[in-house]
Amino acid sequence: MRAVHKNTLYWMAVTFILFPVLILVGLFMRAVQADQLGGAQAWFYPMMTLHGVGMVGVWFVAAMACASDILERYCDPSAAVGRFALAGTVLGVLLLLACVFLGRFAAGWYFLYPLPLKGEWPAWSAVTFLLSITVLGATWLVWCLDLLRAIAKKYSLSRALAWHYLAGRGEPELPPSVLIITVSLIAAVAALLAGVIVLVLFYVELLSGATSDTLLMKNLTFFFGHTLVNLAMYLGVAALYEALPEYAGRPWKTNRIVAISWNAVLLIVLFAYFHHLYMDFVQPGAFQYIGQVASYFSAIPAAVVTIFGALLLVYHARMRWNIASLLFFIGLAGWAIGGVGAVIDSTISVNVALHNTLWVPAHFHTYMVAGLAFLVIGYFYHRCQEVARVPENAGAQAFTTALLVIGAYGFFAMFYLAGAYAVPRRFALYPLELNHGAGYSLAALVFASLFLAGFLLYLVSIWTRWFKAMGARA
Amino acid sequence: MPGAGALAFAATLALGAGAFCAESVAGESVERLEQRLRERAIPDIPLRLADGRTAAISTLGQQRPLLVTLFYTRCSGVCTPFLLWVRDALNEAGGLGTDYDVLALSFDDADSVRDLQAQAAALGLANEPGWTLAVAERDAVARIAGALDFWYRADPATGQFDHSALLVAVDQGRVVRALLDSTTGNRRLREMTWELRGRFIPFYRTADGGALRCFAFDARSGEVSFDWGMLLLAAPALAALALVAVLFGVTSRHRAA
Repeated sequence: MRAVHKNTLYWMAVTFILFPVLILVGLFMRAVQADQLGGAQAWFYPMMTLHGVGMVGVWFVAAMACASDILERYCDPSAAVGRFALAGTVLGVLLLLACVFLGRFAAGWYFLYPLPLKGEWPAWSAVTFLLSITVLGATWLVWCLDLLRAIAKKYSLSRALAWHYLAGRGEPELPPSVLIITVSLIAAVAALLAGVIVLVLFYVELLSGATSDTLLMKNLTFFFGHTLVNLAMYLGVAALYEALPEYAGRPWKTNRIVAISWNAVLLIVLFAYFHHLYMDFVQPGAFQYIGQVASYFSAIPAAVVTIFGALLLVYHARMRWNIASLLFFIGLAGWAIGGVGAVIDSTISVNVALHNTLWVPAHFHTYMVAGLAFLVIGYFYHRCQEVARVPENAGAQAFTTALLVIGAYGFFAMFYLAGAYAVPRRFALYPLELNHGAGYSLAALVFASLFLAGFLLYLVSIWTRWFKAMGARA
Repeated sequence: MPGAGALAFAATLALGAGAFCAESVAGESVERLEQRLRERAIPDIPLRLADGRTAAISTLGQQRPLLVTLFYTRCSGVCTPFLLWVRDALNEAGGLGTDYDVLALSFDDADSVRDLQAQAAALGLANEPGWTLAVAERDAVARIAGALDFWYRADPATGQFDHSALLVAVDQGRVVRALLDSTTGNRRLREMTWELRGRFIPFYRTADGGALRCFAFDARSGEVSFDWGMLLLAAPALAALALVAVLFGVTSRHRAA
């Protein structure tokens, strides 16, 4: 039994506190859209900003915590850097809360240039927001580099990227989770550096008035944001590769196909974000086609190989089903379903119709919540239970999982349906001709509440295990 | 003391933000002045043309879009070089007389038809297709100058006018583009003619536009090319690869040791 590092347990606590709070913020938004909170719509966009940045941040750090925990099994990430990442993230979150609640900063999680500098919020709140992103980005960059350093201490770059498998050699063995984490961290460093450039250009404008090219800023912003979200998902998949074999009682090894698919991700994932610029007619056509092709090929090989791998792992295995293995399996399905929604939206001819409709939050909620979040909370439960070994109540766990799944897919369905019926995203209140959007919001509110109830039940079930895991460290 | 340093940095940024807000309303660039003219309606004033006819601006712009510039024949300053530049640049850009015409309007009501003819001959424009030189009554000129924010003032000491140099592209009675105080912007003049000829211009300089752009548009060839900003777009990926290579390289040496 491998003890859970204190940092990982703290990351779990951060996730367990912030996630329900951010769900409540999401519920608030849907309630406003359902016209149930008259007079509160002035807070819609600040809350949208908090919900967006918060959720992306929470699930990125939660996935990074999983990656760090996995790497502790194979190499030696720095505990001090882990603590630094935790402190930096807390500071960044506090700055974010200040700019949103005190300054009503409301530029959305894209903070698309030049909006942060042009809104009706006070200048200090825009500065605080940029400082928040700076603190978070810089902290995570250091964290990523430290995890890469830990990998480098044990593996050469070619081995960490499984190139010896590409050359037909199966030795030395490389855990697939290490391959996926290496690929994800390299791309994450690129994404975070893009974020650094965006922030520097913002600061230059703040200090000197020198403006930036809007197309360049949009490219850099999505390079940063899209890629980071994409990689958080992959880090969650690494947790699946690491933990699911323990429930199936079979190993899940790296092979040539796995190596090819994840190296393809590294090659292609940095170009996928171009699909966010389809409507930017000044972006040359070649880039738009690259965006579509890269969207397909950064998702499909890795997803297909992983799904087939997982199905083969589970098929005819003596699976030990509990809430962790259920969440892994359902999380994999969520990745696939959300991924298909994303690939549909990244198809240029379809995007013309679906762009900026609720289809977009539909697909990213699917893979972020029913994909990444399920994988991560499954892994958190798996690690706590591995140490705590508290007897499990199969019925209660099945009920909790059912609530999570019904709640999640219920509110995703409302997004998908509304998107298919052309309801635009980011509308606080719907005009008369889009009144059907309010109905979908109301139904989504009910389903999201079910999901929140499911998550609270999950918290109840993990609570004692988390404390025992914390106690086991003392 | 890092806390104090961070506070000072934040305060500087906040001051910078304040300065930014103030700067955005003060001081106007040429591009902003030009953009302000877009969509302005051109008053349909009566003109006396160099060939002796009279016509309204709307009649001249009936068949094709118009490039309109203001000058006066006695000018010892920018007018002649500006008209020569327009002539040469349009010859290079092509399409004059087939896709658009030029109206050079004198804003000096002392100019006669004979003066216009002499000016056209001096500039080699007398038989150039697409060129029309004209003069209008003082009030009419004032209306068109007002509509285009064209500034001119008589200087009694010299008998000359102080004035700016302006070229506007007019289509269906409205300004689609303007070029102010420029005799060197061949590229921008070509873009203007492209727009009048109905061609799509994906990139052009805007007011307050950033220096580092991803792409540039060559109005001569119509091609889009990478600009310096593209380096910034490629930099994160290249820097990440370099950083990772160094990290693994350095660490592997330690591992080997």
